[in-house]
Amino acid sequence: MSGKRVAAITKRLLQQFRRDRRTLALLFVAPIVILGLLGYLIRGSASAPAVGIANEDQGPLGATVAAALAHSSGISTTTIQSSDGDAKLKDGSLAAYIVFPPDFSSQAQAGTIAPDVHLEGSQPGTIAPVLQALQEALISAVSSQAPGQGLHVQPRISYLYGGPGFDTLDYFGAAFIGLVVFFLVFVVTIVSFLNERSQGTLERLMASPLRRGEIVLGYMLGFTVLALIQAVEVLVFALAVLKVHNSGNVALIFGIEALMAIAAVNLGIFLSMFARTEFQAVQFIPLVIVPQFLLSGILFSVSSEPKPLQLLSGVLPLTYAVNGLRDVMVRGADLSWGSLQLDVGVVAGFIVVLVIAAATTLRRRIA
Amino acid sequence: MSDSWAVDVEDVSKNFGDVKALDGVTLRVRQGEIYGLLGPNGSGKTTLIRMFVGLVAPNAGTVTVLGQRMPNVAMLSHVGYMTQAAALYPGLSVEENVRFFAAINGTEGGVKAALEFVKLYDRRASVVSTLSGGMRQRLSLACALVHKPQLLLLDEPTVGVDPQLRVELWDGFKEMADAGTTIIVSSHVMDEAERCQRLGLILFGKLLTEGTPGEIRSRAGRPTLEEAFLSLSQSRA
Repeated sequence: MSGKRVAAITKRLLQQFRRDRRTLALLFVAPIVILGLLGYLIRGSASAPAVGIANEDQGPLGATVAAALAHSSGISTTTIQSSDGDAKLKDGSLAAYIVFPPDFSSQAQAGTIAPDVHLEGSQPGTIAPVLQALQEALISAVSSQAPGQGLHVQPRISYLYGGPGFDTLDYFGAAFIGLVVFFLVFVVTIVSFLNERSQGTLERLMASPLRRGEIVLGYMLGFTVLALIQAVEVLVFALAVLKVHNSGNVALIFGIEALMAIAAVNLGIFLSMFARTEFQAVQFIPLVIVPQFLLSGILFSVSSEPKPLQLLSGVLPLTYAVNGLRDVMVRGADLSWGSLQLDVGVVAGFIVVLVIAAATTLRRRIA
Repeated sequence: MSDSWAVDVEDVSKNFGDVKALDGVTLRVRQGEIYGLLGPNGSGKTTLIRMFVGLVAPNAGTVTVLGQRMPNVAMLSHVGYMTQAAALYPGLSVEENVRFFAAINGTEGGVKAALEFVKLYDRRASVVSTLSGGMRQRLSLACALVHKPQLLLLDEPTVGVDPQLRVELWDGFKEMADAGTTIIVSSHVMDEAERCQRLGLILFGKLLTEGTPGEIRSRAGRPTLEEAFLSLSQSRA
């Protein structure tokens, strides 16, 4: 073992990095970007689920419980009409609403109270805080009104989507199906297109009668074939083996996945223009994939993000794809839903932009 | 009259940043001629060849290939281009590579003839990543000529090819030229230069001198092309 020889290797390595500014930037800038984003996302988010309260109680108890709920830190409440509740769940402005029925106070006299709890149900993480806040509010309200009485609480819970068996995997599964396909197709495309460049065959293609659009389209179709097979595999595994909840049309899920795969292929071709080596291509993963992963609503719903980040989420293709997949799988959306039309339309729009971008930048790096 | 020129380069200049890759080059190559581009590394040979296929656009001057002003994608199916490094798909077999390049030039036939020309027909099922450097070079040549182009551009085609096969390939080039194919070769190898009908010496992006090998030898007053080349280069450097 020679210290000098080891030192030679160490020194050479550092010399190489001195010339590779991009790798250095990635090494030192990317962690700050990613951690900063994550911190802002979590600290800056309005995390308390929005709950609507409809108090129809003719007695005093409903108002007391509603007041207790309003002071609860786990949820943020608004007063609504019970007839508006379902619409507000559907448009996403409420995670749940609670109705205190007209005979609520008299129920309490009889020893058993049954508030109606209507849950949106697609986000399992919001259910527990709502039920817990209700529980605490009832206990404090009842103990102040009728101390010492034994009282049974039997909330009647109904779910707009999903159901009691709907778990976290059901919520994340829908989004991850899209993410997995997007990520893998992107990596495979960017590396193989870069190979085409580095092995010199791209120069040959450009010196042939092939037009740039033909190259991009040919690539797109080739990888789409692979991506679609992968999409089928992922979908079958998710639905049949993992038994991820699905209330929608399987063909529609597949269609959204296919759109994502095509978007990923074109993003890969486009970004391969900005990488000289496979090493640099791999560096696009933390820059392109991680922020999309954090901001697309997979982990944190977009509506709970701080406002500036919501704007950023709004320009990322994955946001729309994730939303579309959840609409279909969790909420059973079909193409007549305006929100799904928007999601599919935006992803398709991204594809058109990326195809044009990929074709126009193709020449730049060969000449 | 311009129809008789396979390649017509008129006062072409090209800069890459501060570097003058080509500086006022005028050069014409006849149909059916074998024209050799000679010059040291970095003299501008490859830049010139890449202009013939429209990969590089000149800053000044015009390039006309087979009667068409370049760049012109449509006429590229009549041009074969063999790049300096053997640009092939390592995961495909020998035959699959040639078939691909035939297909993108709009033909299907000629695969067998091209592989026989470079003596790789017996190895047609081999995957490229298993081939030696010389074999890859030959396969790259087969890919450049499979569609029977009217103009064949060869950037140092016989690097790594053994002397015996080199002679056979040159006999093949001669046959193609006799049948009307124009061939432009860049090379360092002087015995290859001897086999060209005309030579152009390029140095620092300028066309230093042009003529048959015999003319160039006598102009420099040297017995061999190699010495003539060195003395002409030094007199201008």
